Amino acid sequence: MAAEERTPAIVLRARDYSESDRIVTLLTRDMGKLSGIARGAKASKRRFAGKLEPFSHVMLYFRRRPLGHLVFITRAEPADLTPIRLDDDLGKIALGSYMVELTDALASEENEAADAYRILSTALILLGEAGPTPALRQAFELKLLGWAGFGLEFDRCRLCAAPSETAGARLYFVVARGGVVCTRCRSEAPEGGFPISPASALALARIGAASLEAACANSPAGADGGVSLARFIGSIVDRRLRSIEFLDSVMPTGNGPSR
Amino acid sequence: MPDKIKRGDGLPPAMTRLVKELSRLPGVGEKTAGRLAFHLLNRPRDEVIALAESLLEMKERVGLCSGCFGLSDTPRCAICDDPAREHDLICVVEGPADLMAIERARGFSGIYHVLHGALAPLDGVGPEDIKIKELLARLSDPGAVREVIVATNATVEGEATALYLARLLKPLGVKTTRLARGLPAGGDLEYSDTATLQSALTGRREL
Ligand SMILES: [Zn+2]
Ligand SMILES: [Zn+2]
Repeated sequence: MAAEERTPAIVLRARDYSESDRIVTLLTRDMGKLSGIARGAKASKRRFAGKLEPFSHVMLYFRRRPLGHLVFITRAEPADLTPIRLDDDLGKIALGSYMVELTDALASEENEAADAYRILSTALILLGEAGPTPALRQAFELKLLGWAGFGLEFDRCRLCAAPSETAGARLYFVVARGGVVCTRCRSEAPEGGFPISPASALALARIGAASLEAACANSPAGADGGVSLARFIGSIVDRRLRSIEFLDSVMPTGNGPSR
Repeated sequence: MPDKIKRGDGLPPAMTRLVKELSRLPGVGEKTAGRLAFHLLNRPRDEVIALAESLLEMKERVGLCSGCFGLSDTPRCAICDDPAREHDLICVVEGPADLMAIERARGFSGIYHVLHGALAPLDGVGPEDIKIKELLARLSDPGAVREVIVATNATVEGEATALYLARLLKPLGVKTTRLARGLPAGGDLEYSDTATLQSALTGRREL
């Protein structure tokens, strides 16, 4: 039998399998994204004291199987990991669902993802403590995109490098360029572009440069910034994220906080 | 020559068919299905007829109650039709099994509303996919309902549903409460014991 391994992890999704088992997908700190079967998860409160449902932050114990990609999850414990508590607010659940689904879409199985784990766990802990805000959503999106290799540029024109501060009344977010272009360069970006105010572009630039914790204290970009990010994400994720519709109904893109 | 021999599973086709149907049942594999089929073959004829008839009768007669959307073989279920029950006290549950669990606990004297699901953002299950509209319709008559107890499971989906309902019901002026915590972690109501359910009901708090 394979040796038991352990790593901190966050549950991305889980579903009941048979009468008593659950199939769980987690983002682990040390082994990337991992899917496994937890036998008796519905009955054993002892082995699975860390609940195996979305957002659960657990120390995961598992054994690999020689064949098949599902590992055997032997235990999940809260250990001394910071708990993630979202179930007292609808906006928290909605934004948290979106965060785990986006992470799930951008992470691939068994590729090292320690930074993604750090971004997701920090964002979910902040969400539980401070509640859902557009700044947190935008900061999370920018950080996770950066981790996935999509560093977006908002502080200057992608073509002529003119700073966003002096770009005039309007900039254009161009998905294919991964950032904004100025009015003068717009004709050279055949993809067109989505209008975004310099204020929103600069807000995204500030949020992107700050740590997650600091970014949440910043003022968010307006709806045009939120929509720019949503369009970019839509272009790189190959399926529509299921949680978006619910999130938008609870917390519209770029508008004020929910509640 | 062996290629010319037609090999089945050694069973007459009528039994193979039964084994195939039985093995569709949850938790029943081909082996178990085979054992059940042999068992039925050896039972008296009237016993097997009773089983077959009860299957058909269930499928033909059991539908949803027009009042609470629980399972019923009459247009309105016995609970909704019981004048001794408090009709201004509605307990909202995710599924019929949860309704049965609360009935078994015997601590509840109101009526029910069965949602047939819970909000699950990660599975794309939204408010229009479960019987929330139908719940609002029951509350449209002002003063008809005194309190709504949200008895969804203690899971992310159950909590999301409870919070969503609280948002909808508060502006209507209907008192909305939630079962006390203390349901087992992982929280399926249908697996809770009677004592736990009773204390969760009496200890309910306003949402
Ligand atoms: Zn330019
Ligand atoms: Zn009824």
